[in-house]
This record gives sequence, structure tokens and C-alpha cells, in this order.
Amino acid sequence: MRLLALGVDYRSAPASVREALAFDGPKGPGGLDALAARFPGNEVVILSTCNRVELYLAGEPRIVPEAEALTEFLAEFHAIPSEQFSGHLVTYHDEGAIGHLFRVAASLESLVLGEGQILGQVREAFRASKQRGTAGPILHKVFENALRVGKKVREETGMDQGKLSVASVAVDVAREVFDTFADKTVLVIGAGKMGDLTLRHLKTLQPGTILVTNRSREKAEAAAARWGGQAVAFEDLNHALVEADVVVSTTAADEPVVDYDQYVRVQRARRNRLALILDIAIPRDFDPRIGELDRVMLYNVDDLRAQAEENRRHRQKRVDPALVIIEQETAVCFAALRHQRYAGAVLRQLGDQTDAVRQRELDALYAACPDLTPQQRLAISHMAQRLQNQFLHHPRAALRSAAAEAPHAHPHPLLNAVRHLFGLADI
Amino acid sequence: MERLTVLCFAGTYALALTGELARFAIRAPARWYATIGLTALAWVVQTAYLLNLGLTIGGLPVTTPFESLVALSWIVAAIGLYLMVQSPRTAVGTFVLPIVVVLAVLAGAAAPRQADWGDYGRGTTAFWFWGLVHGVFLLAGAVSACVAFAAGLMYLVQSNRLKHKRPSRLGFNLPSLEQSERLNRGAVTLAFPLLTFGLLIGVLLSVGLGGSSGVGAGGAALRWTDPKVVSTLLTWVVFAALLHARFRPAMRGRGVVVLTIVAFAFLAFTWVGVEALRLPTRHGASPSPSPTPTPTPTTPGTAGRGA
Repeated sequence: MRLLALGVDYRSAPASVREALAFDGPKGPGGLDALAARFPGNEVVILSTCNRVELYLAGEPRIVPEAEALTEFLAEFHAIPSEQFSGHLVTYHDEGAIGHLFRVAASLESLVLGEGQILGQVREAFRASKQRGTAGPILHKVFENALRVGKKVREETGMDQGKLSVASVAVDVAREVFDTFADKTVLVIGAGKMGDLTLRHLKTLQPGTILVTNRSREKAEAAAARWGGQAVAFEDLNHALVEADVVVSTTAADEPVVDYDQYVRVQRARRNRLALILDIAIPRDFDPRIGELDRVMLYNVDDLRAQAEENRRHRQKRVDPALVIIEQETAVCFAALRHQRYAGAVLRQLGDQTDAVRQRELDALYAACPDLTPQQRLAISHMAQRLQNQFLHHPRAALRSAAAEAPHAHPHPLLNAVRHLFGLADI
Repeated sequence: MERLTVLCFAGTYALALTGELARFAIRAPARWYATIGLTALAWVVQTAYLLNLGLTIGGLPVTTPFESLVALSWIVAAIGLYLMVQSPRTAVGTFVLPIVVVLAVLAGAAAPRQADWGDYGRGTTAFWFWGLVHGVFLLAGAVSACVAFAAGLMYLVQSNRLKHKRPSRLGFNLPSLEQSERLNRGAVTLAFPLLTFGLLIGVLLSVGLGGSSGVGAGGAALRWTDPKVVSTLLTWVVFAALLHARFRPAMRGRGVVVLTIVAFAFLAFTWVGVEALRLPTRHGASPSPSPTPTPTPTTPGTAGRGA
């Protein structure tokens, strides 16, 4: 058994090379078919995302191609000279290939550490390969394990915990303050790019009402139309603040738009309901003392950035524990593959050998009894086949059970015992 | 023997709590399964114990401080178990299981010796029935108070974290502020009428039992100056203030939560503190001159038989 992973990623190759080698759209299934046709007997999966293009091949050692042959294939398939990309290619073999795929699935190889999209992309690549019939038992086991390990790493290390962008941290904070959003009102003050981005994220929470206010009525109406909200005159800001549960403020004003006393009055009119204010304007739109009010959570852009940075540091800290899990899982997966391949080979040998013995004895019998009719020969042949199956039933079941056991560094003793007892040749 | 049995499931709850606290260090799903498994195991054992207790005394086991504490810890554990299964990522167990463990340990401390069971008569007729109703209402009120207390603590921790702009700690996710507050408000609203009704029945029952000299009389007369009576009245006043605060916008949030904690502390003191500090109370004392034990209820957790 041999495994080969070859490809480029955002670290080894610039975007232009990755784009040139991408198997996007119809090239995906086409690439799978072409690879399978070019290297028959190989199992093939292609993982193609915006940050990586990787080919995974597996099969018997003599049929799995070398990296050069794959480079040639890529050049022909994409119709580009191999010199353009061969220097950027990275290759992994056997256990290294499994470990690499596990790291990819666990997002340790991702541009954004701990991002969740890659696991879905690995699943999709595997699914496409199964659909085209190019994934066999080896890659089936490797990719199933990769998906499991990717999930396990996230669960056990919390690698995916905490968002990394200001806008998504804002959404997390909103979820920590409020339980439901269908009955909440979001007020956007100003119509800046950052406000747009934050509101786009907040929209995923499906708030009940969106209000937009701006010094320019036209801009407010344009933004409200864009987000399916209602425009509010800037003069009615206090009324809008009373209505709002979540406020996103992004004006370019030099002075605070809302001062402390003003918001105290607003909060009184709100009957002291919980409020979340995301003041992402610079300079700040809300007097920082407003955050001291018990029922008001005031976050400015620095607070959100600091949380995003803290989350980034946290994810970085989880890399080592994640690598330990991956190392263990890689060793187990590789050993299991070898174990299963070995058990499969012993089972095949056993079947072949007993088939040969049966056939030899039948031939001898037919030679000794030339008067047997074809029906009699058929009946004897069936009887011999049934005898063989019954004799081998328990040994085969025991071997399959041994093959399914947790993998060991060495073959299961039963496999060697069967080889010895039935006089099977060394593998 | 009773004490040993109670401490057995208290110990299992304590193990479950250890599993729950391990969420800070261990994120493997096995930790969650172990915590849920231990909690469920302790709860099942406790259920069997309560059933047996009910069969032994021939009624609901809510008529002595010991029985009430066992029943209370059982109900709070059931609520905690439900919430832990419903929200595996949320650290609800960190707040609920300590309450369960403390209640179970207190029950163990209040457990009668085997020899004492002989004194446990059922009392007679209507007094016993109303004593039971008194106990059930106080128990339900105490369950609500425990839920309000746990929800209040979660609110405080979450609010404090958000105020200080700290990201949620790995493995320590809490319900949103709105959720904790809603749970706290609901539980407070429920606790007050339940406690009031339970106490009222207790007082009426005691007045019916006793003479004019005190709140309760008969075998165990209670005076208005009895520490148990004083602390019960204070507890009721604090809960009344809490209910009032719950409807005042200015008191929303931290104010109500702090008052919830104070109210819970009063309730805990009334329930077990008076006896634990060995204050001179006649509450729950056996009606020694009478040949048949009769209920002498007035305060949370006790409805009749001497403990």
C-alpha cells in the first residue's frame, strides 16, 4: 500500500499558481476522471479550494505514480508549462500524507487558524470522489478519519472558539447578551463601511426591526433600503435609541453623538431594558461612561479588536495539543490501514490456496472417473465448494474480526497463525 | 445508616461536580458523558431512596428537614440534569451541582439515626394532611429559590465578564444575560406565592394546634421571639422586597440578582442555619407529653414530625 499527496497551498505558491492549478467547476469531476484514466488502479481524491489544490492517490506500491508523473499530468490537464508550478509543489508520502490531510481537516494548515470551512471542503472533495467512483477502501478510510479527526480537534482543543474579525466578534457579544433577536430592534447610526459590515453579520441573527439613521436623510434611506430596514430622521435619534436593543454606531463625527446624561434619560425611557451598544466609530460616538450603566453593554472598536486578538492568541495556543491528537490519530490510522491490508492479503491467499486445492482434487477425481455425466460433475463441484466454504467459514470470520480490532504495531498473532497453519506464502 | 446512604449519593453528585469543573481543562466529549452519567446515577439512586422513604413513612417525604432536604436536592438535581443534557456546551452544571451537593450533604447531616425511626409517627387526621401541604409548598418555593439563585449567579458572572470585555473562557460558556435574567425573574415570581402560601398554612396550622401564647403550641409551642419564627418572617419580608424589585425597572439586573442571593441566604439560614447554629428554637421539637406525635409546622422544610 502506498499513499501520495501532492499539491500547492497558500504558503508554497502564489495565488496565480493556485488559480492556474485549481480544479474548480467542471474541472473537478473532469480532473478526477482524467486522473483515474491516466493512473488506472489508483484511488483518487482532489481537494481544491481557494487556498490549496491537492491530489491524493493511493493503491499498490507499484501502481501509485511518482510526483514527476503527476506534475506532468497537471501540466497537461491545465495546459500550462510544468516549470511554472513544479517548484511550488509539495509532496507527502504514506503516513506523512495522512498526517497532512488530518492537519488540513483540523484547519491547522488554513490561512485562518481554526476556520470551519475547510472541514466542509474536505467532505465535499471526498463526496465528489465517491460519486465519480474514484475513492477506494484506502482513501475511504483516510478521509473518513480525517473528517472525524477534524471534528475531534475542534471539540477537544476549542480551536474554533472565538471569532477573529471585529464584525463577527460583535455578533458573538450580541449572542452573549441576548437570547432571541426576532423581538429586538437594531439601530445603525451612520452609514459607514464598518457599519455595513457589522450589520451584514448582525443580519444573520435575524433581528425583528432594523432602524437606520444618518445626518444625511438620503444616505439613511439608501442604507435602510439595502438592509430591509426603516430610515429614521437624525433628529429623532433619542426616540430610536429608546426603541433599540442593539445599537451600531459608525458616524464620522468629531464629538460624541450621545452623551452620558442623554443616554441616562434614554435608558430610563427604555425602562432599563438590556442594551448593547457597538460603538465602532473613531472617534467614539458614545460617551464611555455610558458603559458604566448596569444594563448597558458598551463595546468600542478597540474592545472588539482586543477580543479578536485574544481569540487569535488562544487558537495559536491550541496548536500544540491539536498536533498531539493528530500525531496519535495518524499513527493509528496508518497502522489500521496496514493491518487491514495485511489481513485482506491473508484472506485472499487463503481463498486462492483452497480454491487451487479444490480444483486440483476435482480434476484428479474427474480423471479417475471419466464416466461421470456433466450433471454429476456439477453436483460434485458444488459439494466441494460448499465443503470448502464451511471449513473456511470460522477461520475467515476470526480473521475478519482480528482485522477489525484496534491496530497494533505488528500484525495480529492470528494472521500469522493462519498463514503458518495453512502454509501460506510470506507477503 | 440513613446518613451513610445519603452521603453516598451526595458523594456521587460531588464526583459529577468534579467532572463538571474539569470542563476548564478537559474538552473531550468523554468528560461530558462521565458528568452526565454520574449525575444520572446519583439521581436514580436518590429516586429509589426517596421512594423507599415514602413507602416507609406512608406518604410524601417532605415532612421533616431531613426529608425536605433530600427531596429538594433531588428536584434541583433533576432540573440541573435536564439543563446539562439540553445545553452541553453551557456550564449550567457548574452552578447547579454545587447547590445539589450542599443540599445533599446537609440532608446527610440532618439524617436521623436508624433508632430514631421508631419515633416517626404520622400524626393524625387533618393536621397531618395540612402539614404535608405546608411542606410541599415550602419545598416548591425552595426549588424556585434555588433556580433563581443559580440563574442569578450565572447572570452576575456573565454580566461581569461582558462589562470587563473578557472573551468567554474556553469550555465555560454561560447562557445569555437575557436568558439568565428571564429564568431568575420567572423563578422569583413563582417562589414568593409558594413560600407565602406554605408559611401561611404553617402559621394557621400552628395557631390551630397551639394556645394563645404563641405561634404554635401543643407539644412544641413557638413564641414570636423564637429564632425560627423571626428568621422566617425576615425571609418572607426579603422575598416580598425581591418580588417588588422584580417589577421595578430601576432595580432590574444586578439589583434584583443581588437581592435574590440575599433572599436565598435568608431562606438557607431559616431552613438549616437555626438548627446548625443550635439557636434556642422549639420548632420541630417532639411533642413529648403527647402519646401520639402531632405535626408542629411553621417554617420551611418542617411540617410535623420531630426530627
